[in-house]
Amino acid sequence: MIQFEYVKPSTQKAAVNAVAKNANAQFIAGGTNLVDLMKRGVTAPQKLVDINGLPLKEIKKTPGHLYIGALALNSVVAGNNLVLQHQPLLAQALASGASPQLRNMATVGGNIMQRTRCSYFYDTVLPCNKREPGTGCSAIEGYNRMHAIFGSSLSCIAVHPSDMCVALATLEAVVMVSGPGGDRRIPFADFHRLPGETPHIDNNLQKGELIVAIEIPDNNLAKNIHYLKVRDRASYAFALVSVAAALQINNGTIEKARLAMGGVAHKPWRLFEAEKMLVGKEATMEHFKAAATLAMTGAKAFEHNTFKLKMAPNSIMEALRVAAGLEV
Amino acid sequence: MDHLIFPTNENELAYESRRDFLKQSTMLTALVLTPAAILKAGENDENIASALEKLPLTLEVNGITHKLAVEPRVTLLDLLREQLHLTGTKKGCDHGQCGACTVHVNGARINSCLTLAIMQNGQKITTIEGLARGEQLHPMQEAFIKHDGFQCGYCTPGQIMSAVACINEGHANNRDEVREFMSGNICRCGAYPNIVDAILEVKQGGKKI
Amino acid sequence: MGNFMADVDPKAGLDRVDGKLKVTGAAKFSAEYTPDKLTYGIVVASTIAKGKIVALETKKAEGAPGVIKVISHLNAPEVPGYNTGKEPAKEPTGDQPLRVFYDNKIYFNGQPIALVIADTLERAVYAASLVKARYTKEPFNTNLEKNLAKAAAPKQDRATYLRGEAFAYKNAPVSVEAQYVLAREVHNPMELHSIIAIWEGEDKVTVYEKTQGVKSTQQSIMDTFKLEEKNVQVISKFVGGGFGSALRTWPHSIAAVIGAKVVKRPLKLMLSRDQMFTMVGYRPYTWQKIGIGATSDGKLTGITHEAVGETSSYEEFTEGVVNMSKFMYACPNVNTSYKILPVDLSTPTWMRGPGEATGSWALESAIDELAYKLNMDPLELRLRNYAETDPERNLPFSSKYLKECYEAGADKIGWKKRNPAVGSMNDGAWKVGYGVSSGTFGAYRDKATVTAKLSDQGILTIECAVSDSGPGTATSMTELASKTMGLAPGKIEFQLGDSKMPEGPTQGGSATTSSLGSAVYEACGALKLKLLTLASKEGSAFAGLPPEGVSFSNGEMSLLSDSNKKISITDILKQNNLPQLELTITSEPGKSSQGFSMYSFSVHFVEVRVHPLTGVVRIHRAVAVSDAGKIVSPKAAHSQAIGGVVGGIGMALTEEAIIDDRYGRYVNNNFADYHVPVNADVPNIEAIFINKPDPYTNPMGSKGLGEIALIGFAAAVGNAVYHATGKRIRELPITPDKILG
Repeated sequence: MIQFEYVKPSTQKAAVNAVAKNANAQFIAGGTNLVDLMKRGVTAPQKLVDINGLPLKEIKKTPGHLYIGALALNSVVAGNNLVLQHQPLLAQALASGASPQLRNMATVGGNIMQRTRCSYFYDTVLPCNKREPGTGCSAIEGYNRMHAIFGSSLSCIAVHPSDMCVALATLEAVVMVSGPGGDRRIPFADFHRLPGETPHIDNNLQKGELIVAIEIPDNNLAKNIHYLKVRDRASYAFALVSVAAALQINNGTIEKARLAMGGVAHKPWRLFEAEKMLVGKEATMEHFKAAATLAMTGAKAFEHNTFKLKMAPNSIMEALRVAAGLEV
Repeated sequence: MDHLIFPTNENELAYESRRDFLKQSTMLTALVLTPAAILKAGENDENIASALEKLPLTLEVNGITHKLAVEPRVTLLDLLREQLHLTGTKKGCDHGQCGACTVHVNGARINSCLTLAIMQNGQKITTIEGLARGEQLHPMQEAFIKHDGFQCGYCTPGQIMSAVACINEGHANNRDEVREFMSGNICRCGAYPNIVDAILEVKQGGKKI
Repeated sequence: MGNFMADVDPKAGLDRVDGKLKVTGAAKFSAEYTPDKLTYGIVVASTIAKGKIVALETKKAEGAPGVIKVISHLNAPEVPGYNTGKEPAKEPTGDQPLRVFYDNKIYFNGQPIALVIADTLERAVYAASLVKARYTKEPFNTNLEKNLAKAAAPKQDRATYLRGEAFAYKNAPVSVEAQYVLAREVHNPMELHSIIAIWEGEDKVTVYEKTQGVKSTQQSIMDTFKLEEKNVQVISKFVGGGFGSALRTWPHSIAAVIGAKVVKRPLKLMLSRDQMFTMVGYRPYTWQKIGIGATSDGKLTGITHEAVGETSSYEEFTEGVVNMSKFMYACPNVNTSYKILPVDLSTPTWMRGPGEATGSWALESAIDELAYKLNMDPLELRLRNYAETDPERNLPFSSKYLKECYEAGADKIGWKKRNPAVGSMNDGAWKVGYGVSSGTFGAYRDKATVTAKLSDQGILTIECAVSDSGPGTATSMTELASKTMGLAPGKIEFQLGDSKMPEGPTQGGSATTSSLGSAVYEACGALKLKLLTLASKEGSAFAGLPPEGVSFSNGEMSLLSDSNKKISITDILKQNNLPQLELTITSEPGKSSQGFSMYSFSVHFVEVRVHPLTGVVRIHRAVAVSDAGKIVSPKAAHSQAIGGVVGGIGMALTEEAIIDDRYGRYVNNNFADYHVPVNADVPNIEAIFINKPDPYTNPMGSKGLGEIALIGFAAAVGNAVYHATGKRIRELPITPDKILG
């Protein structure tokens, strides 16, 4: 790891300025992803701005929203009573990610900012457009078992690794950011980007912008929910495919449906068409299957991840089944 | 937490670059370097930078307060092992993927390999060396011995630190829950069932740990 | 059932004698010593798979803060052993091991090409990142399966075996023929391979090294640096797992010894986790084909087992992949062939269960396939072809309780209560399946020497230059000495891990307890005889008694005929004015073992859950039954047995080291992507020991356990998955994509 400067500002403004004014400065919160990337030489900031001195840990219920500060730890959010009461899907997703130790370090903001786990992104010896724009994508014709089946480009087929973000996409969270140009609110669906020709840009944050909180609008999605994570071992592994399913069911009829997938795209992959299709339908396996089929429109697999074309719709069905409380 | 923040003011940071930093002679007072060391380092520009980039760090480790000077890039794990010679905390992967380096920060378990030591300024760290009370082993240590919760012993300190936290978090209510909440600690020898037995016994013993 | 376990209650066994050190963090592993003026070495690895280094940019690194030296083939001092034909680390291979920093040749991606030495760890790590090599690249191959036709018979092993007629299965009334693939596995002990090397002058070196063989490491360093035995000390007090990876002295260790010599300061070198994939061996990717034929009532008529495994381009590595097929079943016609293919990777090395685990995966899967084809219970098929004597060597087994293993395990798992129809059992959204398999491994015993000292305080100290990578060698030897000498375990100190101690075996091949235990047993016997002689003064109750006439317990010797007539050990010594008794015993297998085939046996039963929609497989229950002779140390044995199952879960379900063949580089060389099982993957495991002594292996009647604990397990899982789903997966690991495929 290179030598770098380290500062720990006491105010949000100073933190934002510190990063905004220095092209090679980055925020650090939990460090679970950034320190890892720095050790591997994937990224080498010359200045770290530690934001742990900022008062951004609060979790509170506000009129119309659940507010979660960006520095709230993943473990704290997963066990928080307000979260469990109002947005248990988020708690489920968080609890399925990483390990207890990492969840004790990782923050909500950092989780949103975490970078792909693509092997070629991590191996600084090999080409990767995300790490070094213009060098090429090693994954397209390489080992791509973990890679995208939706929204990939000729430049990048990496996936976003977060579980939490899949739930936040489903719950239509808003990311609240503060930057040199002031504050703004970014709808979750607009936060992360597809790779296109600029896979090195993961999201739409501007330089110096700091995530200060997320807000989840109130919904009736605390009952019929399920976060399904399919992975190679029973715990402590990234998703091959994950599904966040949330339904509002009245007398067997689906009144609201929200679905998103993880492990399939460069960003949490919302299944808008499948959601629309489900609304007004009976909660039956037949309809879930139809929704899963619809959700797969446009899916494109590579040499080692064709299994996702089956695993993904199957997982959608299974997540919906469990969310709806149907027997096998 | 907030009482140990490095010098900054509202808009300005302490320094903007290595060279700027060197010019800010007043800042030198913040450093725990002797003038002789600075003079020696001055023979080589790179050496000045590296020597001066040590930052003061105060850590309470196992009840003992350490006043240190560290490079920001030093992880808590490497600080414990290489500088404080507390080698009970193990390096198994150095990337937060095995749990061998688990320590408690203010009672919460974390991977010490993925946190910079400087980020823990002012915190209370407990390592495996701080668990026993003198010759009296911690109940979890006793239980690991009794249930043979290890073979080679390398992951063991991390497992035990994690196990204590697992109970204190309230995540040891049954076998399946313990399995899930101990999955951040890899044991290649495969002592997992014995580890679960040890934790459940301590949990059921009901002692405050 | 209970009677099998009667003597083997793990709770009744001795707690680990080094347990307190391990649970308090006081146990010192090889990287944890702190000599004065310690330096840190970081290995720089090649980034191409084959070719030559044409330029090495080291200036930046050399100029970086704190850097003391950068060593490479360009400036490494001459290593005297490199050119003498002596091999720095001869086991387990033939040919020329990699000579680190010898020349500019690159044999594999990840090969050590430079060592950066600095005054702090951080500075060494950073400077290592500044070293850049330019290469000329040469064509290379890292794919075995696409190049099977190029495989050839190894030079050092008999490549083929034939009993009766070759390929007899092809003419059988009922037969199966299938190919099985085992993914490359990496040992990945939790402790990163580490060494501290300290030179005193030009010809004396001490190393703290992670090794399974204290004396073999000493020999390697002696050979490499042309040093006398007395001038090379290897210390390995605690070893954080090995599973085979610490069986040889690898190039990085030699690099550390070179580095310490160059900088004339102690040097510590710890590999990184990704380097553990390329620098300390692996279980080779292996292709196998099995054909088995039987009569319609299930008598085997022919077994053909062919295997091709990887080796490196510079060394020949072989293992016993096809061995089990030669003797496991009573079958008149057996032919086997074992070939190896040099690939442009580092040399593999034995990994727990070694080739036998690989081979059992294929054989025991194929047997299961045949059973279903015969519409026969897979357990019944095995029993119907049970080999009462060794059909390969035409010798009796020294002991074989495999039938008892089958019986005990079947009873415990509830084999007969399962519905044998494929795909018939369900648990909610999950399919349920049962599988069985068997395993075997040679019951080996090597030479071992111990020194035993019995003090007039009644303390028995035993020393041997072995190391303990986890099984609990000091514990089991303490337990053995305690029972044999009639001394409380607390009165016994077993010391190991130092080459200055008497020569002990390398910890491998499940032979430590047998080899070392024999020496400990014999040393205790010799001490007892001495004590009897010393006590046999005229007029004493013990005068003229044969050894069988006395017994030892609670630190006392008593008459067998009258237990009231006794004398304490301390009194015997004191009465003879002896502060201590000391003797050194070398023990090796005697003639009594000749004329027998000696094997341990195991049976694995598993119950799996398969989620058909997502392809997830979970082990729900596992029963591991071992015929490992008499169990010496119940608690440690129990842990070995369940540990083998956990290793087997990894082999069966999760572990696969993947190479991108375009680059010859690993793409999952870390613990996030190479999936060692975690706690949540592991169910309750019931370990059962038949616990009947083998009359011929050694004085304790023990047989090896470490390997059989794993051997066969993967096949049991594959067989259970088939029972649950009707899907036969012939390529390990059985990951969700394969279930869906």
